[in-house]
Formats: sequence, C-alpha cells, structure tokens
Amino acid sequence: MKDIIIEKNPKKAKAKFDDLFLAREQIIKSASKDAKLHDSIKNLTNTLHPKNIEVEVTKIVEETKNVKSFYLKRKEGETLPNFEAGSYITLEIKINDRIYKRPYSISSNPKNTQEYRITIKKVPDGLVSTHVYDNCKVGDVFTISGPLGNFHYNKIRDEKDVIFLCGGTGITPILPMIYELLENQKVNSILLYYGNQKKEDILWETNLEELQTKYSNFKVKFLLTEEEIENYIYGNITEEILKKENLNGKSFFVCGPLEMYKSLNEIFKKLDIPNKYIRHEIYKEELENLLRIEHKLTIKKENQTYTISCYENETLLTSMENNHINPKAHCTVGECGFCRSKLLSGEIKTEISSLRKKDIEMKYIHPCVTYPLSDVSIELP
Amino acid sequence: MEYDVIVIGAGNAGLVSALTLQKKGKKVLILEKSKMAGGVSSSFKRGIFEFDISLSKLTNYGNEENKGEIFHLFDRLGISSKITMKELEHSFHIIDKEKKESYTFPVGIDNFIEQMEAYVPNSKVSMITFFGLAEEIRDAFNYYNEQQVKNTEDLYLKFPNFVQLAPCKTKEVLKKIGMPEKAIELLVATSLPEKNEDENFVSFALHLENSIKFPSVIPTLTSHEISSVLEKEFLNMGGKINYFKEVEEIEVENKMVKKVKTKDKSYLCNHVIANISPITVYCNLIKKEEVPKEAFGLQNSRDLGAKCITVYLGLNKSPKEIGLTKYQYIILNSLQSEKEFKKMNQIKNGNLYATIRNNGVEVSSREGTTEITLTSYFYGRDFEKEVNSSNYYEKKQEFAEFLIESFEASTNTSIKEYIEEIEIATPVTFNRYTSHPFGVVKGFNEKGYDNFLSRYFTEEKETFIKGLSFCGGFGSRASGYENTYLNGEEVANKVYEECMEK
Ligand SMILES: Cc1cc2nc3c(=O)[nH]c(=O)nc-3n(C[C@H](O)[C@H](O)[C@H](O)COP(=O)(O)OP(=O)(O)OC[C@H]3O[C@@H](n4cnc5c(N)ncnc54)[C@H](O)[C@@H]3O)c2cc1C
Ligand code: FES
Repeated sequence: MKDIIIEKNPKKAKAKFDDLFLAREQIIKSASKDAKLHDSIKNLTNTLHPKNIEVEVTKIVEETKNVKSFYLKRKEGETLPNFEAGSYITLEIKINDRIYKRPYSISSNPKNTQEYRITIKKVPDGLVSTHVYDNCKVGDVFTISGPLGNFHYNKIRDEKDVIFLCGGTGITPILPMIYELLENQKVNSILLYYGNQKKEDILWETNLEELQTKYSNFKVKFLLTEEEIENYIYGNITEEILKKENLNGKSFFVCGPLEMYKSLNEIFKKLDIPNKYIRHEIYKEELENLLRIEHKLTIKKENQTYTISCYENETLLTSMENNHINPKAHCTVGECGFCRSKLLSGEIKTEISSLRKKDIEMKYIHPCVTYPLSDVSIELP
Repeated sequence: MEYDVIVIGAGNAGLVSALTLQKKGKKVLILEKSKMAGGVSSSFKRGIFEFDISLSKLTNYGNEENKGEIFHLFDRLGISSKITMKELEHSFHIIDKEKKESYTFPVGIDNFIEQMEAYVPNSKVSMITFFGLAEEIRDAFNYYNEQQVKNTEDLYLKFPNFVQLAPCKTKEVLKKIGMPEKAIELLVATSLPEKNEDENFVSFALHLENSIKFPSVIPTLTSHEISSVLEKEFLNMGGKINYFKEVEEIEVENKMVKKVKTKDKSYLCNHVIANISPITVYCNLIKKEEVPKEAFGLQNSRDLGAKCITVYLGLNKSPKEIGLTKYQYIILNSLQSEKEFKKMNQIKNGNLYATIRNNGVEVSSREGTTEITLTSYFYGRDFEKEVNSSNYYEKKQEFAEFLIESFEASTNTSIKEYIEEIEIATPVTFNRYTSHPFGVVKGFNEKGYDNFLSRYFTEEKETFIKGLSFCGGFGSRASGYENTYLNGEEVANKVYEECMEK
C-alpha cells in the first residue's frame, strides 16, 4: 500500500490522533451535567400508547334489550388517548378472584377524548359480558389497555367510496369510522348495511338516521331477519342486494357475527372482489363438534410449573384464566400476538394465520385460539 | 449469586453477548421488557404478509466460500448452519432523481472498481487506493483489538496511514487521494440516506469495504429467524430469559453494580450488560448520586442518531408486474451529498431506502404479491414540533404518502393502487417498542470526537461504574445489524475477562 500524505509531519500527525481523544475529554468536561432526560417523543408515546389506564364508569345506558353502553373516564381526570376509529380496548376484570380480559371496540366518536364508550352485548353463558352487564354500576373502576387493533380506514390504501357491512354489535367499531369519515370529509360516499334480528335490536337507529339527514353522502339501509317491516330489508345481506350497487372501486368493511363473515366471504368470491378491498374486524373461528373432554395442561412460567385441567371445547387461555394463571392477552382472537407461547408437547387444534413463519416452525401458538386434543404442555414467555 | 451476568434487553447485541458468555460457561440472565426476543430484529404480520421490522440487508456476511466477519461470528456461536440465508445479487443500486440516472454496483472489490471506472472514467487508481486504505484500517483496528495497544507511537510505526486518517472526515480523504468528484458522490451515496456529513472516514471505509467485499444476505424467514435461533441456542446452552421484565433500577454502591431490580424482583449481580441506551441507564435506572458527573457530561455532549419513518406495504401484484427488478433502491434527490445532508434535517427530505423483499427471497409472500419497505431517515426535532397526540394519525399518513409518491416518481412505477396492507412506523412507534430516547433507530451519531475509534480508545476510561457495560446500537460500534452483532461479542469478551479477574 502506497502511503498517503495528509499530515506530512509525523509529530503533528500523532498529535492530531491523540487530540481526537483529548478533545473528547474536553467536550465531556464542558458539556452540561443535566441528569434529566427531556424526551418529548417519550411523552407523546406515553400519551398515545399507555400500557394501562384506570377508568371509572361514569354513565351506563341501556341501548337495547341485552346491550348496554358504558361510558369510561380516566380516573385521574386527564383525557384519554387519541385513537384511530375502529380501535378496541382490552377490559380487565376480576370475577371470583380470577382475572379475565376481553376486547371491546370503542363505540364513541374519536374526537372525544374526554371519555370512551364501550357497548357490550350480554352473551348467553358469556362470563365477562354477563358479569359486566348484570353487575357493573356507575363509579366502578376498571383497568383497560390503550387503544389497539388494525381495523381502520386508511386513506392511502382504501377507496373514497366505502361500504360498511355489519350485524348486531358489529356496529360498534363502524360507528366511530362513520363519524370520522363524514366529519373530516375523507370520503365521497358511505353506504351502511346494518343487519339485526328485530327492529328493537338496532343500535343507534336515530343517530344513524340523523347522520343520513345531515350528510347527503351517507346512506344507511337496515336489514331485519326476524321481522318484516316497511322500509327495512327483510333477510340477510345477499349477493342480489350487493349487486344492485356499483361495487367497482369501493372498499368494504365488515364486522359482525361469524355466519355473516362466512356468507359475505362467499359472496365476495363470487363477485370477484379482490382481498385488497375487503377489511374485516378480527373474530374467532368457531371450532365445531368439540366436546367437553378433559385433559391436563401443564404450564411453565418463569421458574414455576402449574398443572391444571383443560377441555377440548375451551381455549387454553380460558382454562388458564379460570385457574388463576393470568397470562398476557389483548385481542383473545389470535391476532395481536400478545399471548404468544411455546408448545412443548401435546396435540392441539389451533389457528396459525397470524403466526410468523419461523414461529410455526418452532411450535409457537396463541393460547387464545388453541384447543387441546390431548394432555398439553406449554411455556409462557 | 444466581447469575454471573445480567443482560438488559434481548436485542441483537444483547442476544449475542448473552450467548457468547453462556457458551464460555458464565451463568447469564436476560431481562427483556417485551414479550419476545429480537428488539427491532423481528417481524410482524398484517394479513397474508410478514414484514421485517428493520433489516434491509445483513452486510459482511458472505457465503461458505467467502466468509465475512458475521459468518465467522455465527460459526463461533454455532448458529450459521441453522439459518437459511439468501445472497443478494448487487451491492448497491442508486437512483439520482434529479438527473434521472441510476447506478448498479456488483459484489466484489474488483468488480466494483471496474463498474465505477465504467461510470466514472479515470477513477480506478483512486478506487484501488481507497480499498487499500480500508484494508490498512482493518488491520490496524484488529491489531488494536488484539494487542490492546494504547500507544500512538507504536500504531504510527505500523499503520501510519491509519493514524493520519483517523481524525479525517470522509470526503476530505476521498478528495485527497484524487478521486474524481462523481466517484466520491457515488461512494458517499451508498450510505447517504442514513449518514451525516460529519462521518468519519475510518468507519465509512470499513463499512463500505465490508458491504462490497462480501455478498450481503437476508434470512429467508426475516430477521425474526436470526433472533429466534439466537434465543434458542442461548436457552439450549442453559441461559435464561425472562420476558415482560422491565428493569427499573440498577442498584449501585461505591460505583459498583450490586443489584438489578424489576417491578417485582431483585437480582444480586455484579456484571450488567445494557443493550439499551446509556442515556436511559444513567438518567432513569441509577440513583443520581451514584452516577459520576462525567457520565452525564458524556451523554449530553453526544448527538442522537437518525430517526426514521418506515412504511411497510403489502401489494397484490408481483414485483415483475409492477416493474421492480432490484432488491434495494437507494433513492436520492441528487448526488450532491452536501446539499442532501442538509436536507436530512427535514422529515420529508426525499432521500430513502426501498427494499423489495421478494426480489431477495422470492417466496417471501404469496405468488402475485410484493412486500415493500420504504424508509426515510431524518435528524433534528421537527417531528416533535410538528406532531402531537391529536394530529399523530393524520401526520403518519401524510409522511407515508410522501414516501410512497417519492418512490413511485423515482422508479417510474405505480404501487399505490395495489396496496393491500399498510403499516407506518414513526419515532413514536420505535420509542414504544424499544424505549430508545426520542425513538432514534441509529444510536449516537458518529462524528468527530464521537466516532467509533474514539469510543473504542476511550472505552476503559469511560467505564464510570464498575460492572456496567453497554452494547448495541448505542455502543462503540454504532448501530446496524453488522455492528451490533460484532459489538455484542466484543463486550461479552470484555465482561468475561472482568468476571475472571476476581
Ligand atoms: C376486536 C374485538 C372487538 C369486540 N368488540 C365488542 C363490542 O364492541 N361489543 C361486544 O359486545 N363484544 C365485543 N367483542 C366480543 C367480546 O370481546 C367478548 O368476546 C364477548 O363479550 C363475550 O365475552 P364473555 O366473557 O362474556 O364470553 P366468553 O365466556 O368468553 O364466551 C362465551 C361463549 O360465547 C361465544 N362468544 C364470544 N363472543 C361472542 C359474540 N360477540 N357473539 C356471540 N357469541 C360469542 C364464545 O365463543 C363462547 O362460546 C369484541 C371482540 C373482539 C375480538
Ligand atoms: S391475545 Fe391476541 S393473539 Fe392471543
């Protein structure tokens, strides 16, 4: 290597080299000794994504026969995090000394950060929903997660004409989206198909009609499956109904019961609508024909090992919750990945669509969507 | 004592240092605040797509016949055969938006020099000199590392060029060796979107040589594959990782590490390796009285590295159908680095890296689809000034849209209409998941007195608390996969020596 000359004088060259480190010493000496981290991004992060929020129920509204809305305010009186319309929170609740977590969509207008509204349907035999529906009173205090989820309108990805398809309490994440899109003039048109069994089951019918009057680009069509009433479509959303609309260049947002997803997916396939135009709120695949057969579930967590009973028709997450083991969970439907755990042994039935490829290879599972078919052993992170 | 060493954070460097020590027979515990290993070296799913959070390419890796330093490191760790790497075809593909020109460089030093000669006639001699200097720098650096010489005289005798070059900035040296202006701009362009004008020649030359000499690679199953394999190997060796364990205090007594505390537990331990920023450690984890003033002086004197906006896109068309043929595009407004460096203070500066994952691993996503990542780095405080909690989600969209449009315009493609999945990461996102101050993704800026050489040479002097070491993006080698993996091992070796001293 031929030598290059940047500093001819060796003495000076060496001195300059040493200076590099002397300079450092000097700079450190003269720098501020402030011992506080003024991290403005951290403040923003904490505001937008707090890990847990203590909230107090400030109002309860009976919306329909078995649906109640709960208005939640921050205990410390501060505002709640801004959220993208369509988000959910995870409600943490203690029942009989066991801790349960369930996701609920925020059903209020996203511009209101003074309070969140969640709207809960009393599910037959549903542990948390029944408990909250029957027992929760104004003044009760809960822990909720910050806003979560990926069911949002995205103006880069989604079209300017939007069709919402929902059933029952599936309206909960949709209503905030409608508010947001209309008030901020983000879209050209919105069409909402909202199905229920009976007229009395419809949530926020008058609100929706008022919005329709106020915004000429918003149309709502109600469907009823158990009642024939004038101006209400009788039956489910069908191919014929959808075909009446011009479906080209429209984005579809779907939220409702499992049967609705199933029938709509068929229809979308028939109509050749690419996946890009269809957004679903997450839901749990129903595993049919599972019997309440008992198995043993062994759980390794840090240095402890627990053995409990589990059942073929109950998720591992539920079995753990029932047995005072309080695993991390948010969505409870296999999407957020928060409950990610390692399967050590045993046969299972599970949903892998949201697992990373390497995780599938390495036998990771989401206990919230995993059912045991034999004795099972898992390791929690 | 239950553990010889506690590693805070299971990022690249944390995992490597933990595994290195465990393999040497030390008992190591990793405390990780999140649910899994890897830090930003991981992936996430949206719909049918799995996006790599941060890896665009792993440099200095090579292949079986031509092993780079990282390959050797992975051999030492016993994991190289457990990861399926895909070699990338080119070293760099640069687009100059202003002149509407593009430059593609091959792998291998001779090929690279030849290609440069084709783009810039009469650059050859200076290019040969450049790579020669890079070699000498590497030798000097290795010599320093092995011999632990602290003696300038000795270094000068053996590596006179190295001593002369150490205080110099990149462009200054390239000019001095007679490199034609255009060749200088092209060389600088290879890392321009993430660097600043103060970059020191020594680290520039080392990194550039590494990324040309050896083919870069990507793991077939994203960087999560590497992290998973590292984690598994560490556990197999008897190491322990506790997740959801955020360290809240490092208890220090008489300037020595005594304990590490999480919310619900306290661990006696004399050696801690922090894979997190020293700012966080000194300001938030140690009682102020126990931290020497110089420690704060050092941290306050440094510049935080770049922040970034990253857009992850899943498209419902194949790269071919869209017209994208390269794996990575380095997109620059112009090749005038001075001007572009200045622009990096703006969030929407127009310089970006685009990675088309399917052009590296064809089966990365389903046939007929494409995974694209667009990343734009920036410096300064504009983000905090412009963004608040009520406009955050709007601003995210605005920044992403700008990046997508910049990409489309410079590659002459259209991708917007094919977006099936989109996710946008900002400094808030990175801050949320890594806790790094201000959500920076590039550790501390390498500049003048704080380039990696100065950090190396002063490491010992700047050990303010006995038993406390740092590794990772905020460590001596600065950020990046290559650097943090290597740094993880170096720090582990140093800590090993410390453990053996007693
Ligand atoms: C992202 C997300 C948002 C949600 N938002 C809302 C919301 O806004 N309002 C709301 O009321 N619920 C919502 N849910 C459902 C809610 O989280 C609970 O699943 C529901 O309240 C039942 O909980 P449980 O403990 O009472 O029943 P569990 O004891 O958990 O389950 C009892 C049985 O009911 C079935 N089941 C669970 N959920 C439903 C359901 N929604 N309809 C019919 N059967 C069900 C279960 O499969 C099980 O067989 C949401 C779910 C998700 C994933
Ligand atoms: S709780 Fe979300 S994946 Fe299980």
